[in-house]
Amino acid sequence: MADELNPLGKIQVSPKAIATIAYNATMESYGVVGLASKNFFDGLANVLVKDPTHGIEVHFDGSQIDIDVYIIIEYGTRIKSVAASVAKTVQYHVEHALGLPVHAVNVHVEGLRISDMDG
Amino acid sequence: MMEVNPAEQGLRSRFLHQPIDGQGFKELVSAGLHWLRANSSVVNALNVFPVPDGDTGTNMVLTMESAYEEIEPLAERDLGRIIQELAQGALMGARGNSGVILSQLWRGFAHAATGHATLTPEVLAKAFSEARDTAYRGVVRPVEGTILTVSKDMATAAEQSIRNESDVVRMLEEVVEAAALSVERTPELLPILKDAGVVDSGGKGLYFIFEGMLRYINGQQLEEAELVVKSLSAMDFEGAMQEVEEGQDYEVIVDFRPNGSLDLKGFYDQLEGMGTSIQVGEGDGMYRVHIHVPTENRYLPIDYAMSIGTITKVHIENLMDQMDGLEAQSEAKIELQPVEPGQIGVVAVSPGSGISRVFASLGVHALVAGGQTMNPSTKEIVAAFEDLPCDKVIILPNNKNIIMAAEGAREVSVKQVAVIASRTIPQGLAAMLSFNPDGDFDDVVGGMQECLQEVETGEITTATRTVEIDGVSVSEGSIISLHNGKLVASADTLLDGCLKFLEHAHAEEHELITLFYGADVSREEADRIAAEIQEVYPDHEIEVQSGGQAHYQFIFSVE
Repeated sequence: MADELNPLGKIQVSPKAIATIAYNATMESYGVVGLASKNFFDGLANVLVKDPTHGIEVHFDGSQIDIDVYIIIEYGTRIKSVAASVAKTVQYHVEHALGLPVHAVNVHVEGLRISDMDG
Repeated sequence: MMEVNPAEQGLRSRFLHQPIDGQGFKELVSAGLHWLRANSSVVNALNVFPVPDGDTGTNMVLTMESAYEEIEPLAERDLGRIIQELAQGALMGARGNSGVILSQLWRGFAHAATGHATLTPEVLAKAFSEARDTAYRGVVRPVEGTILTVSKDMATAAEQSIRNESDVVRMLEEVVEAAALSVERTPELLPILKDAGVVDSGGKGLYFIFEGMLRYINGQQLEEAELVVKSLSAMDFEGAMQEVEEGQDYEVIVDFRPNGSLDLKGFYDQLEGMGTSIQVGEGDGMYRVHIHVPTENRYLPIDYAMSIGTITKVHIENLMDQMDGLEAQSEAKIELQPVEPGQIGVVAVSPGSGISRVFASLGVHALVAGGQTMNPSTKEIVAAFEDLPCDKVIILPNNKNIIMAAEGAREVSVKQVAVIASRTIPQGLAAMLSFNPDGDFDDVVGGMQECLQEVETGEITTATRTVEIDGVSVSEGSIISLHNGKLVASADTLLDGCLKFLEHAHAEEHELITLFYGADVSREEADRIAAEIQEVYPDHEIEVQSGGQAHYQFIFSVE
């Protein structure tokens, strides 16, 4: 829970809400074609997921927010640049919405999707 | 209208009548890269901070450089192979979001060109379509109003062009024209652009690459960005008023409609021969010229405009007269320093207009109103620097009660922020003296921290209640002196309070005494007190400045 005090009481933001923000930011990042299930046993590798809490992990230990993002990238894009852009976009959107600093965004590239160029 | 250099007519003719092979296309890519590079600062300036993608222009140039390096040494004549290598180079060098998308566009281009030895209209149209398709495949939720949209409109124009049986050069002209229109439309599709009053930077960069190719074919220069005219609404006359120079006594504004098209370069050259502070605006074919000229030149801009078009309106004003008026207003607009992306920005908290002006003259980029009894919130501080187009920011709270809020701003912001714990206005001013916007962030912050100790601060105010603090007994209504925030003396008169502070601060060991007088003190009274102080410290340099602060009659800075 990310907590903040206001004059009337406490505001709590659940990790799931943060995950949804991160999910939306990730899906708008160029080069990302999907999120991957973070756990191999949750589904076979490279299964694209629609549920925002799959593929995004939010850790909040009372003082700092860490976010792990598990993505699938379009084959033929520069992975380093795409991943860096995902991290920046997620950090920006979460901090902007929450008003709290994000300590780390870890991007895990779980797979590449090869598009049919003739398709 | 494009000016075509007659000597280069052969180039256009060559591209029109000879097949464009891999080597010909290489020349075009080189031209696109040159033109993009010439305009990279234009593209960088479009960045809507803090959207993640650093400097789009720079990223796109680096991506194109990496792409071009791949094909530069090749003697290969086959078009398809050259573009494949180009795409490979773009992929390896892709920087930032825009660079990744650009590399995808080239990848689509390459796929369409594979197996073709030369560039035909059919191949080019197919290349633009595949570039678009490949770029869109790379994202789940495409955001419109970006480089993606521009690539889509370019492909549509190419498809249209093929139906009109265009040649390659004609098609390129139509595609570039469509790209220009598409870029202009991006703010309609993406609200964040509209709010910032800019067009999409990536789309504009893509436009420059293909415009560069076309300019090369037409024999136009590729080294220097074109002079541009602002839209009429963007003209800043107030700003121009601030930069009146000696001898430029008249402001002349002429509205006119040129006969035919206006040669901007020649036009600017003529104006520069007449005066300074030149601004040219354009809207619906009407031009507005704003210029400051010496008395003897005051009719020249009008005669000149008349010689090249039809004048609709003329406005002449005596600037010296206006300036007198401006100086009379103590609330004249404060001119803050602009900050460039990549530089370090500074935001200072200031309790009064005079102090704000001093901070502005020292290079502060943003100001927050606040002081002893009006502490700004974290939110107000963040709002003051959030829109600065830089990602490194220094905050000068200038009051011990505001340091906390400044720290809060540092934590909340996505920018790299440092708080210099300046507890008084003179400390903040002293810190600004060692500020360097282009320095290493940690070095600059460290240098500014050190400066805090080099100045003694005095604050002279009226006691609001009867009390005894730190061994000084104060009765309500008497004058009290604070040295570096600590109560050191009580006095009956302002002058006495000032002298007691100076004594306590060991002013005799320093050289410069600056006195900021508050909103409730007149200039005459401040000058009178300064003269009395000079009597006591005859060797010191004493400066009197309007501070405009509330509550404190005087703030002293002793250095």
